Amino acid sequence: MKTKSSLIPLTTLILRDTKRFLRIWTQSLIPPMLTSVLFILIFGYSLGSRISEVEGVSYLNFILPGLLMMGVIMSGYMASSFALFIQKFQRSIEELLVSPIAYWQIIAGTTIAAMLRSFLVGLGILAVSLLLTPITIYNVWILLAFMILISMLFSFAGIATALWAKNFDQMSIFSTFLITPLTYLGGVFYSIKMLPQPWSTIAKFNPILYMIDGFRYGFIGVNDIPVLYSFAIVISLTLFFFILCVWMFKSGYKLRT
Amino acid sequence: MNAISIKDLVKTYPNTEALKGVSLQIKKGEFFALLGPNGAGKTTMIQIMTGLCNKTSGEVSLFNKDVYQDYVEARQLIGLVPQDFNFDIFEKVYNILYYNAGYFWIPAKERGPRIEKILKDLGLWEKKDSPAIQLSGGMKRKLMIARALVHHPKILILDEPTAGVDVETRQTMWTYLKKLNQDGTTILLTTHYLEEAEKLCDRIAIINKGKIIKVDTKDNLLQLTK
Repeated sequence: MKTKSSLIPLTTLILRDTKRFLRIWTQSLIPPMLTSVLFILIFGYSLGSRISEVEGVSYLNFILPGLLMMGVIMSGYMASSFALFIQKFQRSIEELLVSPIAYWQIIAGTTIAAMLRSFLVGLGILAVSLLLTPITIYNVWILLAFMILISMLFSFAGIATALWAKNFDQMSIFSTFLITPLTYLGGVFYSIKMLPQPWSTIAKFNPILYMIDGFRYGFIGVNDIPVLYSFAIVISLTLFFFILCVWMFKSGYKLRT
Repeated sequence: MNAISIKDLVKTYPNTEALKGVSLQIKKGEFFALLGPNGAGKTTMIQIMTGLCNKTSGEVSLFNKDVYQDYVEARQLIGLVPQDFNFDIFEKVYNILYYNAGYFWIPAKERGPRIEKILKDLGLWEKKDSPAIQLSGGMKRKLMIARALVHHPKILILDEPTAGVDVETRQTMWTYLKKLNQDGTTILLTTHYLEEAEKLCDRIAIINKGKIIKVDTKDNLLQLTK
C-alpha cells in the first residue's frame, strides 16, 4: 500500500484541467485578452490621449496593471468555478469522491490549473500591451507575489461558488453582481485620490481596490495605499477562501447527502 | 474473511429513515445480490460504503478497513458502477479511464496496458478515441464497468448495472462479471431482477424499507418460492 502522500492524483487533476482549458483556448484564453486589448485601445489610446498624466505616468500605463489584473481575476475565478460546477452538474465529481484522493489535492489540483490559466491570460495581455506601449516594471517580485496570491484567491473563491451553487443562475450571481462591479470600481481606471468624499472613503471598503493598487505598485511604483497593507488584505482573503474550501469539502457541503 | 462488513447501519434523512440498523457480512470472493424494490435502501447502503453519503450511525468496513477512518485504503479496495451515468460526456473514453486510474494512484506508465486490456475485454477498444457522449446506452454501461475496474479493485459494486440494457449486452455483461468473480473479485450487485440474481449470485439479501428481510443462499431462497 502506498503512503497517503502520493501526489499522483494531484498531478492527474492538474493535467486534466490544463488539457481541458487548452483544448478550448479560443473560449478560455482569447476572450479575456481581447477584452483587455479593447479597453487599452478605447481608454488608453482613444480617450486616454486626452487625459494628462495620472500619478506621474501616462494614463495608458496607469490603467494597464488594472486591466491585466481584471483578466487574471476573471480567468482564475471562471476556470475553477466552471471546472468544478460542470463536474457537479454531470455528477462526474463522484469519480473524485469515491477515489482515495485527499480533499486538499482536489482543491490544489483545481487551483493550480486555474492559476495557470490566469497566468497565461496575464502574459497574453502583457505581450499585446508591449506591442502598443513601452512598459517598464518597477518591482518584478511584488508583481509576481500579487499575481500568485490574487489568482489563487479567486481560484479558491471559484471553488467555493461552484460548491455552493445549485444551478447556472446561481453560478453567475457572484461574477455578475459582485466581482465585475467591484473590479470596475476598484481603481482600474482611476486613482481613489481623484474621487471626492465620501466616495474615496467608501472605495476603501472594496477589497479589489487593494489588489489592483498593490499590483499597480509592482508595475509602475505608484500606489494610493501602503503596499504592506494591500498584501495583508490579499493574504487574509486568500486564507479565508482556502479555509472555506477545505471546510466545504470536508463536510461534504452539497456533495454528500 | 469478510470482504464487506456492515454493522447496525442507520441513515436518516429529514422525515425519512432510509436504513434502519442494517447488518450484513459478505465473504471474500462471493457474488452477492442485494434484491429489493425502489426506495428500499440499496443505493444508500452502497453510497455509504463508497463515500458518497454520510452515515447516521453504525460501522462499515471493507477487508477490515473502516470506510471513514481508513478511507484511503478502503476506497482503493472498491470499484463502483453507479446506477446513473456519471462521467464527463465530452471526454474521450480512453481519457476517462486514464484520469480515473490517476485518481487511484496508478502511475502513468502502468495505465496504458491496463486500459487497453479492459477496453478490449469489454469490446470498447475501437471506441477509445470517441467522446463518451457518442456511445450507445449499453456501451456507456460497459464504460462505467471499465472505469470501476481500472485500478484492479478487490470489491466491485454494481448498482443496477443492466437497467435499460438490451438482452445481448446484458448476457455479455453477465459473462464478463462471472469471469471477474471466478478470478477472485468479490462482487456486490443490486438489482430488481430476480433472474439476474439467480443467474449470477451465490447468496442473496432481500431488503425492503431500510431493513434486511432475509439473507440466504440462492438455492435456499429459490426453494422458498417453489
